[in-house]
Amino acid sequence: MSKILEQLATAIIEGDIDNTPKLVQKALDEGLEPLSILNDGMVMGMNEVGRRFKAGEMFVPEVLMSAEAMQAGLKILRPLLVSSGAKLLGKVIMATVQGDLHDIGKNLVGMMCEGAGFEVIDLGFDVPAERIVQAVKEHKPDIVGLSALLTTTMRQMAYTIKALEEAGLRDKVKVMVGGAPVDAEFAKKIGADGYGSNAAAGAELAKKLVGAA
Amino acid sequence: MEVHKVNYEVNATPTLQILTEDEIEAIYFSSLRVLEETGVRCYNPEGVDILHAHGAHVEDKNLVKVPSWMVERARSTLPKKVTVVGMPDKDGKRKYRMDLVKNSAYWGTGSDTPYTIDPYTLKRRRSTYQDVKNLAIIAEALPNIDFFMSLGITQDTAVGTYDRWQYLAMLEGTNKPINITAVDVEGLRDQLEMAYIRLGGKEEWKKAPAFSLYIEPVSPLSHDPIVIGKLLFCCDNDIPFVYTPCPQAGATAPCTLAGVLVQALTESLFGIVLSQLRKPGAQVIIGGLLSQMDMQTTVMAYGSPEMALLSAAYTDITKWLMVPMYNTSGCSDAKMFDEQAAMEATLNTFIAGLIGGNMIHDVGYIESGLTSSPDMLVASDEIIGMVKRFLQGIPVTRETVPLETIDQVGPGGHYLGTDHTLRHFKTEFWKPVLMDRLDWDRWVKAGSKPMRERVHQRVLEILQAEREPLFDEKMYKELRRICELADERHKGEEMGIGIV
Repeated sequence: MSKILEQLATAIIEGDIDNTPKLVQKALDEGLEPLSILNDGMVMGMNEVGRRFKAGEMFVPEVLMSAEAMQAGLKILRPLLVSSGAKLLGKVIMATVQGDLHDIGKNLVGMMCEGAGFEVIDLGFDVPAERIVQAVKEHKPDIVGLSALLTTTMRQMAYTIKALEEAGLRDKVKVMVGGAPVDAEFAKKIGADGYGSNAAAGAELAKKLVGAA
Repeated sequence: MEVHKVNYEVNATPTLQILTEDEIEAIYFSSLRVLEETGVRCYNPEGVDILHAHGAHVEDKNLVKVPSWMVERARSTLPKKVTVVGMPDKDGKRKYRMDLVKNSAYWGTGSDTPYTIDPYTLKRRRSTYQDVKNLAIIAEALPNIDFFMSLGITQDTAVGTYDRWQYLAMLEGTNKPINITAVDVEGLRDQLEMAYIRLGGKEEWKKAPAFSLYIEPVSPLSHDPIVIGKLLFCCDNDIPFVYTPCPQAGATAPCTLAGVLVQALTESLFGIVLSQLRKPGAQVIIGGLLSQMDMQTTVMAYGSPEMALLSAAYTDITKWLMVPMYNTSGCSDAKMFDEQAAMEATLNTFIAGLIGGNMIHDVGYIESGLTSSPDMLVASDEIIGMVKRFLQGIPVTRETVPLETIDQVGPGGHYLGTDHTLRHFKTEFWKPVLMDRLDWDRWVKAGSKPMRERVHQRVLEILQAEREPLFDEKMYKELRRICELADERHKGEEMGIGIV
């Protein structure tokens, strides 16, 4: 690995938001390919973050800093990658469903997805099915992630999936669901494509849903 | 009258204090500043209007900034004591009573877990009507459980009307005071109607409410429109309510425990102000499940020492404010009733008792509040028993310092046959129900059962014991009718996606 890619991986691991874009620019200036900068530098760093997190050597706030650094670097790389025709991980729309104000879980999954390299569009909380349908039309995401904390609002996930069906969009996106009262069985029952029991599992699932893991 | 001592201080009970008065004031004034300068989001337009009309500043439609004087004024009408009395027994007497006031401790269960541990298969699964009823029956049988919350969501009933069925299941199981949950104002109204029926009329409710309502702000600093609707309904209908957040340090609240206290207090003070504007004297209980997000798993910790410490510190604040406290204990992050569950529940139950209560909930929770466990409930009853004994302290009196008896027995004798021992041995010692103090041989003869087995055996004994229904068939039908009417009104909303 070249020195600059090593430095980039380290910057990601350390969650260095200031230095990561600078290093990306430097790597580009040195003539490295955007895809190599991503995969051999940044993703290597993020993989190490994942390993350390699983091993209990890194903790959530640190992982989120790494995710932010990843996004800061991608801001420069993404347009270049797109124009070079490289396959990116894709777009995720995240929302806490209508009637639910609890969004910490949704935020965590969104940030973990950003760390994995997805582009994340956060619709916030208390989001009605119609607004999600609208956003899918507008942003054409690969994945819609839905979150709920209450059993009463869990139903909104089913309503949303139904609304996507009615809008003829269901086969265009994968739907993943999560939240404290949600489980795999419920996800299956309402016709979701997957369920993540925690934020890291959510990001893993997202990768799987786009065929990247 | 004989006077032996002067300037003599008595410690009638052990004491625990986490914060000094200066520290409490520092937190309180910080909360006032947050409420006044940062403000809170209130997504209920009626709530916003009330606050605005009485002097609060409103920006951006729903960002409400409450000046300190409004808090001070609200506190002047806020009840210092809240009483909840259970349902009448067959003789018409309502024998279970909670006087929630400074330094009084009452223990009860927690509410609305999606899962429970099946008492017969010991498997974790979605909770049902029968589970809620069973757990209420167990709570009714346990001497140290003073109030009940639904240890499980009834998920074999319609999702949108589960609350009425859940209340019916609880009423079938126990006459103890209940802290209910409600889907919305309509669900709350239905349950109030059910309580009137069960009590034999609204007048009986006016003597003393038979339930309180659990509602919560969403941390950080947000107030749900439906929740605020329920809060206002409570004020209008003399229903005490618990208005307590569940902030997670480091995630939905500042990472430091003092920061959590400031934010949680801000969130509850908002509820206090709104309630006292709606109806001076409205009965509010504050406190909460104050804890941290575990930074490795992202789970909200229920068994952490920080949770116990925060609950205790917040109790110091509520004592100073003179408002009843909603405390937390008898809960764990363990996945079953095991050694971890026992360790965590013992610590948090002890601390909650020692700090002085008041309404101590979540007894019977495992898996960080996602699962209820009959075993955990029964074991916690024993823990509470031990703690209550500890709280009695050591009275130092002429009777308890028996100089004459010591003199009689003298060096080398024994106390087993003395009058003094006979007078005291039944009351001085706490009597275990589940704790084992057998000698080895007798323990082996009794089946060499570990604690876990003895606890579970007690669960089954309670569930299998003969019991009379708490009310007759006619009453049951009347109560059930309210649930069925609600189902009728909400027909078609479920889309066939019932959870169980």
